[in-house]
Amino acid sequence: MEELKKKLKEQIIEALNLQDTKPEDIDDNAPLFGEGLGLDSIDSLELMVLLERQYHIKVEDPREGRKILQSVESMAEFIQSKQPA
Amino acid sequence: MAAISPQPTFDGDILSAPLIHTDRNLLACIEPDYKPFIPGNSLRRMSRVLKMGLAAALKCTADSGLDTPGPIITGTGKGSLQDTEKFIKEIVEYKETALNPTPFIQSTYNSVNGLIALQQKCTAYNNTFVHRGFSFENALLDSIMLIQDGEPHTLTGAFEEITTEHFYIKSRIGFWKNESINSADLCQHLSPGSIAGEGATFFTLTGTPSAHSYAAISGFRMLYKPTKEKLNAALKAMSIQPDLIISGRNGDSNYEHFYKELDSCYPGIPQLGFKHLCGEYDTASAFGLWLAAQIIKTQQIAEQWFPQQQPLTTPVNSILFYNHFYGEQHVMLLLERV
Repeated sequence: MEELKKKLKEQIIEALNLQDTKPEDIDDNAPLFGEGLGLDSIDSLELMVLLERQYHIKVEDPREGRKILQSVESMAEFIQSKQPA
Repeated sequence: MAAISPQPTFDGDILSAPLIHTDRNLLACIEPDYKPFIPGNSLRRMSRVLKMGLAAALKCTADSGLDTPGPIITGTGKGSLQDTEKFIKEIVEYKETALNPTPFIQSTYNSVNGLIALQQKCTAYNNTFVHRGFSFENALLDSIMLIQDGEPHTLTGAFEEITTEHFYIKSRIGFWKNESINSADLCQHLSPGSIAGEGATFFTLTGTPSAHSYAAISGFRMLYKPTKEKLNAALKAMSIQPDLIISGRNGDSNYEHFYKELDSCYPGIPQLGFKHLCGEYDTASAFGLWLAAQIIKTQQIAEQWFPQQQPLTTPVNSILFYNHFYGEQHVMLLLERV
């Protein structure tokens, strides 16, 4: 799980071009939107694309997306739940 | 007004700025530090031409002394090529699924205008013209008509970028010279094709002159694929005796005859070419107009940019500007001192 979160942070930084942000600057449980990284609605679409491209997971329900993209922790949990056992 | 170009035109004193030249047949812009103009969180998402366009527009508004830009009217031949290419490549790579929204949004031609309006909280008229070599000219025409209808001022500009892919595509249809040349010698090196360029240039146009004014536009004509006779008549009708001519001469032997026509209409009038400074592109006229306005305001010619030109000994009260885009879209403007 720790490895997945570290990789996810690197992928978020690259996908959203978060200049001057390092993986260690992102708290696992900090909100990604509003406070924390201060991402916006276009970033949420970019993160959906990231999940689809990197992890082959398509989020069909936008309400579900809101919960999944809450933090790095919630994203990692969701990815892990979709991985084959 | 403000210009981001392959020359150091954005910051500092252009009269002492060096001439930037290249032997790659491509003059790329000198990009400024965008952080003083654009918040970091917005900057991270923007592609190159968006940053250039927005920064030039913001600096232009600041230069004009106005609080808000009013109507925003721009012209671009190609818009954000970088975003368009990225979006198209991703369509192929991901087989039309999982496409990033950002390159799609930014590949639309009016995204620079939208960004300026958002950043300046400006809800006035907002329009982008995309008409190849007449893109900037139509933006200018629209602005002049708005001012004639009572708008006190407009923010009018143009932006263009060149990418490696686009340079290659255009080279296959003969836009650029086959041989590598020193861009500084462009006007003297006559052979098929020119050299590529790019830039973002913005002007604040007002109905009445102010302390910030550079020059007045007192003549403006566009001609599409004119005959020799029509071009000759239109050029002669622009001015009786301009003090200086600025032309879009670009070393392309295929279309040099149009500039020869200009020479024949105004023999003995000093003439400056500007494409060795910015290269050839759809909206290069905007840079030419910026240069003309600089000269008329400062009454000086940057010697290092025009080493063969004698220093000015008499006042420049009027400048005739003439440019065409690959023989199709022709524009002539008369600028006068205010």
